[in-house]
Amino acid sequence: MTEIRMIVNGKSVGPIDVPEDLMMLEFLNEYLNLTGTRYGCGQGVCRACSVLVDMPDGARTMAACVTGAIWFDGRTVRTVEGHAARNAQGQIAELSPIQQAFLYHFSFQCSYCAPGFVNEATALLERLARAPISRADVEATVLEALNGNICRCTGYVRYLGATRDLILATPGLTLTEDGA
Amino acid sequence: MRPLFRWSAFLLLVAVVAVGVVWWQNSGPGPVEPATVDFTSLDADQHAALVERGLAVARAGDCAACHQSQDGLEYAGGYALHLPMGTIYGTNITPSIEHGIGRWTADDLWQSMVWGVRADGANLYPAMPYASYHRVQRADVDALWLYLMSIRAVEKPNLDPDLPFPFNIRPAITFWNMAFLPQDRSLPPADGKSQAWTRGRYLVEVLGHCGECHTPRNLAFAKTDRHLQGEVLEGALAPDMTADNLARRGWTVADLAGFLKTGVSKQGVATLTMWPVIQHSTQYLPEADLAAIATYLMDGAPAIAPIVAATDLPQAGARLYLGLCAGCHGVDGEGKPHASPPLDKNTTAMLPDPGNLVRIIAEGIPARNFPGEARMQAMPAYGNRMSADEMAAVVNYMRQRWGGMPGGVTESDVVRLLDDRL
Repeated sequence: MTEIRMIVNGKSVGPIDVPEDLMMLEFLNEYLNLTGTRYGCGQGVCRACSVLVDMPDGARTMAACVTGAIWFDGRTVRTVEGHAARNAQGQIAELSPIQQAFLYHFSFQCSYCAPGFVNEATALLERLARAPISRADVEATVLEALNGNICRCTGYVRYLGATRDLILATPGLTLTEDGA
Repeated sequence: MRPLFRWSAFLLLVAVVAVGVVWWQNSGPGPVEPATVDFTSLDADQHAALVERGLAVARAGDCAACHQSQDGLEYAGGYALHLPMGTIYGTNITPSIEHGIGRWTADDLWQSMVWGVRADGANLYPAMPYASYHRVQRADVDALWLYLMSIRAVEKPNLDPDLPFPFNIRPAITFWNMAFLPQDRSLPPADGKSQAWTRGRYLVEVLGHCGECHTPRNLAFAKTDRHLQGEVLEGALAPDMTADNLARRGWTVADLAGFLKTGVSKQGVATLTMWPVIQHSTQYLPEADLAAIATYLMDGAPAIAPIVAATDLPQAGARLYLGLCAGCHGVDGEGKPHASPPLDKNTTAMLPDPGNLVRIIAEGIPARNFPGEARMQAMPAYGNRMSADEMAAVVNYMRQRWGGMPGGVTESDVVRLLDDRL
């Protein structure tokens, strides 16, 4: 057993004793009852289990199914439950822009892959806010960022379209023609 | 002043003439051995059999590795080799009249492989491993020629080498050849050695040209006499393959032959610059040839005591291993069959130079279908998820737990390796 503590969706968690080889996915699902992060392939390939880890130079996604909870000790983590704005009663008041965009575009059907897509796309949006790209490069950048996330029912076009449209409609994520 | 100037000018002239004479006497190919077949009298069956043998030679010689196109079309040329002196592109060796070797005779192919001289008399750069092919059997070249003439011509122009002065002076390679290409083409006598050993030696030293990557090079970029003792080329360490070191890293004849066939073994999975060798060459070799290669390489290997983990494993490294690696590779490095290779017997942690280990952690490995049944999922790249200090910690942990190597790899070592090798 080893003792870990971390910040999950803005709340301090722990110190709590966990087995040394406990995977983060199980920690979220079973210890914290955050069941939005999904078990897909169990091999770190499908990215249904992607969570966000905040690092000094921006967020990274990590596959929670193959990354030990021990690695998250002392870190700040965001899961799909942490994106929407909540009211005083803790109920969802407003979805995050990418969550709303996925709904508008009917991006998912069974939704099993959606939490991973939300986190991956959020990491991309935050990256572009720090380092905007040319509007002409948006399509390719979105494809590259979301290419690893696997979806088995609706296909990928609606996820890509939703993310692309949101980026193009959000001020500050892209550069104008003159590079400003 | 004036007589001194005159004398200097005279001596310079003498030197230039002397160099010119030496060059003139040594340029061009050495003697050409006569062909072993009369190509004009082959019947259909003999022709087909010789083409088939030629294909086997092409694969054993791994021609496609460097002569493929940028997009993987075999023998069409264009593949870039990034060398310390510049970039050289593999050439088109399809029978295209305009761009390939469609006008070459079997003698032309022979002289290019043995003497490094093209059909038009120009020197090849030694990136073409003619220093290894130097001892090729004429019968193999004849078969190879017939095979190359039988494939589809690809009309794709060659790319000029991108080499700065003085490396762009092709005729100067004559002097390199004088220094590093022996006139004698015979291999040393193999007294008392088995047929497998002899065949293995021919495949390793000549056709397979293993030493072109695995033998350390000197300042002139020629192979030194530190035979197969390992070298860094194109950012990857081609490890020491002397019998002692193969044995120390846990290789056996059977495992080594299996690795060359499938790219997978309990000692590790073919990655970096060895993967293309499996992909284009060794997977196609007959079992007997692979056993011969392993027999030759492992000849005289001593019995080695198994590697024992260090008693004081670094705690920071252990935690990082548990957090980032154990999910796929197992808490004790046992791996997951058909998904993640075991690390407990993996030779990458056993190399004195930690460069390959650092690179793989930083850049990951793409998903691959190996020959046979094994498929490996992609390994994620951790380069932007770990600090150099963390990478050093986990590298030290793996080296000390499974590699029989000391720790001591520092943050600045990792920074330097990533800078030099990626």
